[in-house]
Amino acid sequence: MKVNTNDVILEMLAAIKGTVSENWEEVKTTANQFLQRRKARMELLAETLEKGEITPARFKSRLEDEKLLLEAELNAMAVISKAIAQKAANAAIDVFEKAILAAISTIL
Amino acid sequence: MNNTLSKAIVILVTVFLVTFTNSCRVKFVPDFDSELYSKIETTSKAVDRFYLLMLETTSAKDNERAYSNFSKQYVEIEVELNSLLLQNKIRPLNENSTRICEIILQTWNKYKEEHKEDNSISDGLIKINQTYMQDLFYALQVSEKAKEILINQPK
Repeated sequence: MKVNTNDVILEMLAAIKGTVSENWEEVKTTANQFLQRRKARMELLAETLEKGEITPARFKSRLEDEKLLLEAELNAMAVISKAIAQKAANAAIDVFEKAILAAISTIL
Repeated sequence: MNNTLSKAIVILVTVFLVTFTNSCRVKFVPDFDSELYSKIETTSKAVDRFYLLMLETTSAKDNERAYSNFSKQYVEIEVELNSLLLQNKIRPLNENSTRICEIILQTWNKYKEEHKEDNSISDGLIKINQTYMQDLFYALQVSEKAKEILINQPK
C-alpha cells in the first residue's frame, strides 16, 4: 500500500481553500447587510428625535439596544464561520478517506 | 494461505479506516431545519403585523394606544417567542442561535414594559421598535440559513 503523503496534503488543502473561498462571499454580503441596516436605523433614530417623535430617554434606550443588536449579529456571523469551518474540515477528511481507500484498492 | 490472510487483514484495516474517518467528521453547528426557519419567518411576520396595524389603525390621541388595548397581542407574541427560544435551546450545538432568540425575547419584553409604563406609544417609536425587532429577526434568519451551507457537504 502506497500513499503519496504530499499529494494528499495538497489535495486536502485545496479542498479547504475551495470551500472557504466558495462561501466567503456569504460572509461579506451578510456583514454588509448588517452595516446597511445599522445605517438605516441610525438615520431613523436621528430623524425621529429631530422631529420630536421620541423622547431623549427612549432615544438613549434604543442606543443601548444597539449593543444587543450587535451581539445578535456577531452570533449570526459566528454560525456562518462555524458552518464554513465544518464544511472545510469534512471536505479535507473526505479527501484523506478517498486517498486511503484508493491505496487499499490497489492491493485488493 | 498467506495471501488470503493478507487480504483479510487489508479488508479489516479498510473497514476500520472507513469507520474511523466517518467518526472523525466534525460538527460545529446543527443541520438546517426548514420547519424552524418557517417558524422564524412566521413569528417575524406576526411582530411586523402587530406594529404596522398599531401604526395604521390607531392614533396616539384619545387613549387609543393605551397598553390594555394591546396586552393580549403582546402576550400572544411572547408565547411564540418563548416557543421559538425553546425549540432553539433543545438543539445541540445551537448556542449562537439560542442567544439571538434570548435577545429577541428580552427586547420584546423591554418594549412591552415601556409601552406599559408610558401607557401610549408615538408613531416614531412604533417605527423604531418595528425596525429593531425586524433587524433582530434578520440576524436569527441569517443564523439558521447559514446552516444550509452544510447541505451537500461530504457525508
